[in-house]
Amino acid sequence: MRIQNIMIALLSVFFLPLSGKAHTPAPPQQQPIALVGGTVHTLSGEAITGGTVLLIDGKIEAVGLNIELPAGTQVIDTRGKHVYPTLILGRTTLGLTEIGAVPVTSDLNEVGNINPNIRAEAAFHPESSHIPVAAVNGIGVAVTGPTGGIISGLTAAMLTDGWTWEQMTLKAPLGLSINWPNMADASARDQALKELNDAFDSARRYMLARKAAGSNQAIDIRWEAMMPVLESKLPVMVNASELRQIQAAMAWAEKQNVKMILVGGRDAAYVADQLKAKNIPVMITPVIGAPSRQWEGYDFSYSLPLKLHEAGVKFSIAGEGSAAGATRLSKHAASAVAFGLPAEEALKAITIYAAEILGIDDQVGTIEAGKDASIMITNGNPLELSTQIEQVFIQGRKIDMTDKHRELYEKYLEKHRQAGE
Amino acid sequence: MQLKRLFFLTILMTLSALAISQTARVVGLRDNTPAVFAFTGARIVTEPGKVLENATLVIRDGIIEDIGTRVSIPADAAIIDLNGKLIYPGFIDLYAVWGQNDTVQTAPSGTAYWNPQVRSDFSMASAMKPSERDAAALRSQGFVAANLVPAHGIFRGTGAVALLGEGDPTRLIIKSETAQVINFMPPRGPSRGYPTSVMGAISLMRQTLIDAQWYREAHTAYSRSPQGKQRPETNKSLDVLSKALAARTPFIIEATDENYFIKTNEIAQEFGLNLWIRGSGTEYRRLDAIAATKVPVIVPLNFPATPAVDAPEDAMNLSLEVLRHWYLAPQNPARLAAAGISMALTTDGLRDKSEFLKNLQKAVKNGLDEQAALAALTTNPAQLLGIQNKYGTLAKGKSASFVITSKNIFEEPTSVEQIWIDGKQYEVKPQREDPRGNWTVTTPGQLFNVQFSISGESPRLTADVKLGEKSIRSQTVRFDNHRLIIAFVGDSLGITGNIRLSANLAGDELLGVAETAAGSIYSWTGLRSEAPNAERRQPETPKTVLTLEDRFPSMEYGVARIPEQPRNVLIQNATIWTQGLHGRIDNGDLLISQGKVVRVGHELVAPSGSIIIDATGKHITPGLIDPHMHSSIGGGVNETGDAITSETRISDVFNADEIWTYRLLAGGMTAGTLFHGSANPIGGQNTIIKMRWGSLPSQMIIEDAKPGLKFALGENVKRSPNRYPNTRLGTEQIIKDAFLAALEYDRQWKNYNPRSGNIPPRRDLQLESILEVLQGKRAAHVHAYRADEMLMMMRLAEEFGFRVASFEHAIEGYKVADELREHGAVPIVWTDWSSFKVEAADGIQHNAALLNRAGVTTTLHSDNTQLSTRMNWEAGKTLAQGVSEEDALNFITLNPAKVLGIDHRVGSIEPGKDADFVIWSGHPLSGFTHAEQTWIDGRKYFDRETDQQLRDQVQHERAVLIQRILEEPAESRQQAAPTRGRRPMEDEQ
Repeated sequence: MRIQNIMIALLSVFFLPLSGKAHTPAPPQQQPIALVGGTVHTLSGEAITGGTVLLIDGKIEAVGLNIELPAGTQVIDTRGKHVYPTLILGRTTLGLTEIGAVPVTSDLNEVGNINPNIRAEAAFHPESSHIPVAAVNGIGVAVTGPTGGIISGLTAAMLTDGWTWEQMTLKAPLGLSINWPNMADASARDQALKELNDAFDSARRYMLARKAAGSNQAIDIRWEAMMPVLESKLPVMVNASELRQIQAAMAWAEKQNVKMILVGGRDAAYVADQLKAKNIPVMITPVIGAPSRQWEGYDFSYSLPLKLHEAGVKFSIAGEGSAAGATRLSKHAASAVAFGLPAEEALKAITIYAAEILGIDDQVGTIEAGKDASIMITNGNPLELSTQIEQVFIQGRKIDMTDKHRELYEKYLEKHRQAGE
Repeated sequence: MQLKRLFFLTILMTLSALAISQTARVVGLRDNTPAVFAFTGARIVTEPGKVLENATLVIRDGIIEDIGTRVSIPADAAIIDLNGKLIYPGFIDLYAVWGQNDTVQTAPSGTAYWNPQVRSDFSMASAMKPSERDAAALRSQGFVAANLVPAHGIFRGTGAVALLGEGDPTRLIIKSETAQVINFMPPRGPSRGYPTSVMGAISLMRQTLIDAQWYREAHTAYSRSPQGKQRPETNKSLDVLSKALAARTPFIIEATDENYFIKTNEIAQEFGLNLWIRGSGTEYRRLDAIAATKVPVIVPLNFPATPAVDAPEDAMNLSLEVLRHWYLAPQNPARLAAAGISMALTTDGLRDKSEFLKNLQKAVKNGLDEQAALAALTTNPAQLLGIQNKYGTLAKGKSASFVITSKNIFEEPTSVEQIWIDGKQYEVKPQREDPRGNWTVTTPGQLFNVQFSISGESPRLTADVKLGEKSIRSQTVRFDNHRLIIAFVGDSLGITGNIRLSANLAGDELLGVAETAAGSIYSWTGLRSEAPNAERRQPETPKTVLTLEDRFPSMEYGVARIPEQPRNVLIQNATIWTQGLHGRIDNGDLLISQGKVVRVGHELVAPSGSIIIDATGKHITPGLIDPHMHSSIGGGVNETGDAITSETRISDVFNADEIWTYRLLAGGMTAGTLFHGSANPIGGQNTIIKMRWGSLPSQMIIEDAKPGLKFALGENVKRSPNRYPNTRLGTEQIIKDAFLAALEYDRQWKNYNPRSGNIPPRRDLQLESILEVLQGKRAAHVHAYRADEMLMMMRLAEEFGFRVASFEHAIEGYKVADELREHGAVPIVWTDWSSFKVEAADGIQHNAALLNRAGVTTTLHSDNTQLSTRMNWEAGKTLAQGVSEEDALNFITLNPAKVLGIDHRVGSIEPGKDADFVIWSGHPLSGFTHAEQTWIDGRKYFDRETDQQLRDQVQHERAVLIQRILEEPAESRQQAAPTRGRRPMEDEQ
């Protein structure tokens, strides 16, 4: 008890908020920062023991041993610590919903089934208490978006620190989110697929008319938003879990000639070779989950990443959808390790693999020169449950490590102290 | 032919006279038609196991006058030569739900019980509305009588035996008030009152029976001397019930599966009920336990339809549980009979009653002995109903109620040819003429003396018309059971143009008219020269007989037997987290013997014959304990019909025969509490179990755990708009009010002297359990999120002199950590659930850490079955908030054991405690670790290596069953497979 108290006291000092105020976004990086002496897990190569990472103007300037530091560099001693790239939450509702049971706090379901034009970033609520919680738990980028209907809308890759959604947008639009219809009920399925195909047909005719020489085609806000998808500049992120859905979606994407990311993928292991052959990446969500069939092994869900890994399918781990559950991202990855996935692969599945699949690997996902300075300092492997994330940098900004949880913790620790402990 | 038709007319004429009450005034002419028949040349099965060959049966005015092989036929008897056909006693259905179109009222009427679901005074004999459609459906399956049971309510009322003939109830009902009928299915619909759940229904049953006993005592005491007593109420429902209890009237209770069967028997024994159970068809899955009850079973023949397996994805969605039941269900009657269980077969449970005989024949094919089958349809129900002196067997002086078939009724494809009830014949199927065969047509002047050859299946008949050597296909051929219509173009036969013919068909004769192309009309006759082809049946190809090992439960991963308990087991070289005085022992040994921990330490010596397990590199912890789950609860987790439902018991509806029990073991979970939901300020009584996969529910309950009662505060209890409370303020008051009522109840009992002759206080199950809480005999487990409500509840408890045992969820527990410690309540929390509702908005990851730091005994819980399969990871998460490893592990072992009052048995690995432990692949609190073995009571219930073998076994058995399904005719298989595995039991929050 004594030792523990001392430990907590030490931690408290380390975590002491910058001010007495609530979580406050950090200013842009003012001076070069060097993280020196820690084990740098670049995820682009071997880990560098006693390495240095130099951050300048929000970018990684250099990483390695014996790096010359410019004058005025703020040096942070990371000896005994570990340095990792921040994590990527591949699919979430973060910033668009606050309290599940209170519908007015949610901006997820627009009227109608076909909403390709609605864009996540414009309603991303910087004040949402869940965003700092995600950030201090190591999530640097979260891909958020609406979830309703068949074509739900456009997702956006958002930074987890900033004053306005504009500042926080890393990339938008990122992808078009589609809910693949349930295939069990033939008539409902056919109706939904007709709506989906009609939308794509209309959009394609619209694009033809828009691009025709001397066109005076009036703008259709829905089909306009779909043009990058039709031109394969933007992927469709298809939510599908059951194998009939997955196969239908694969065939559909090929026919539509669009770039597809499979999101969910519960039954993906049954058709892994087809996913590989068609080069369709999978964003697995969730890994911690129940088998859908009574006879399937109890670890069916936990072992999906391993199966896709062994089959050579490109995959990432996307945690779970809920905003408040963002902190569990690393736990989903860890559970895959408990059932055989190499730990390094699991870590990559929530960093660089996610970045590659989402098309943001030029900015995030590894610690490499030229990428965003989105980095975290930890006391261990971020997948391990006991690991503490001590400091997060987002584009070089040293963020306020106080989230709502810590604020309330500190506050009620004070109540406890006043009670005479 | 002539004779037969004559009988028919006679019978129809007499029917009208016999169908009405004997005391009714005769209108019109009196009917004096004789009703004397002699059936000769029959094979008569007089009762199970007794057959008379080439025998004669004489019946007169509805009674058997004589039966045997040397019977002299009375001169006035009309003779029916059966020519080798069979006669069986008419079947009796012990459970038929029809003949009533009354329903449950929303409020009681007259002096009925306060709850409209209690209709014990309802009598089928008074309310019966004959239904010819339903009666005919049963007659067609060989039934002559049925115990009609009421269809509505929980206490449904009494049944009555009715003959399945025509007439008014005065003539049809042969016995009134046969049995009280109870059903635990709560009423459906939007405006549901109490009860809304099966556990609520069972509780209502208990309280009502107690009330009936009290009613009798109260009235007895009052009638002895009213002096100084409050006059007891007049209540017809309780009056009927109390008399039924005293008279040992049978109670028929429907048990919807084999576990409810066993539970129903337990509950009936509480009241000494004379119990019959309407079974489910799943009894074979717990045959021994069911046979041990010695309760007569009314068995449905509701065999599942053949599932769809053509598409692999459809087959994938079928569980082994569903596949096994498809194959094994037809064996249920045979297995029950072989186990010596008193059994009656019923048509109830079959949507289409015409499936009954087919399924009966299937049951016989699946091993049901024919004698046992006949007994289950005749003598058994007759004896249970007390009508055996007239019905159930064929003998002199008994009712002339019997079935005639041309072949053994227990063999496919026999169907009932005639059915006689009290000496009257009823048409089974309307006689249908068959126009098929070869016909020779004669016309006056031999105008076109053609041959017709009619074949095919009605209504798609074809007719070939032949004249001499030439033959053509007719354009039209239709038959409506009376008139045959044929049209053909005759030119190629040498007859000009379109010829149209029609005819009356009777037997082998056609009486017809025809019109030629020229408009001339002729009469014609036809004679059948060749009968229609006998029904051609494909000889059935013998199907593969499978031997499926019994499994408990009968599903994937079920076990053939409970794992053995070795005498001695020594586990060596492990890191042992004892959670006891020895703390963590590195490189240690654990010795267990006969289910108990003997010693933990270094280099222990194994007694000879010990099983030795090398656990080098592994970790061992106590079995994990989840102090708050809602899995394995049948028929509703919440009783929402009232704000205070402290009488409900989870143990009444607990059934762990579900895949999650196995999955919990795979995650190292060995014990847990099953809670009533959080819809009520005072919910129900919880049950504490061990995950003894494959055991009966009663064998999984930890009997010496501290009993508990669920309370709930906050959002969940105040969201029923028409129910008090609607505020947190009201929540406090209604709980306080219940506490006061319980104290008053206690005072009444304390003041009552059994020798005084006074009216005893009425036992109140609702108040009894609350009183136990006040007396400290029962733990209060209180669902709460916010700090204010936890504080309120603690102060309320202190006011009444008891201690709150635990706060469930305690999202804001950290805000009142010191108060919780002072009071001694245990917060049962999540690691990282927050913000799913407003009262959860302040959920923080540091909750457990801060509580623990403040010296509060803290535990983690799941409230969600999937979460419960990985509680070691949950505990691991608290390490990041600075909790020590030992404390973190206590959150899921010793601390929950303490709050549940089972720490004398489990929660730590210490000598004398139960050998419940887990062997982990690595550090138990690492996210990279999984359970390798899970032991309970020194028995290994889960082993990851065995699990792999079980998966192979499951795959093999599924494949064998699916291949067997493919042997069934394609048209009998379903189109799609709707059946899926059970969904996770979702959280209550």
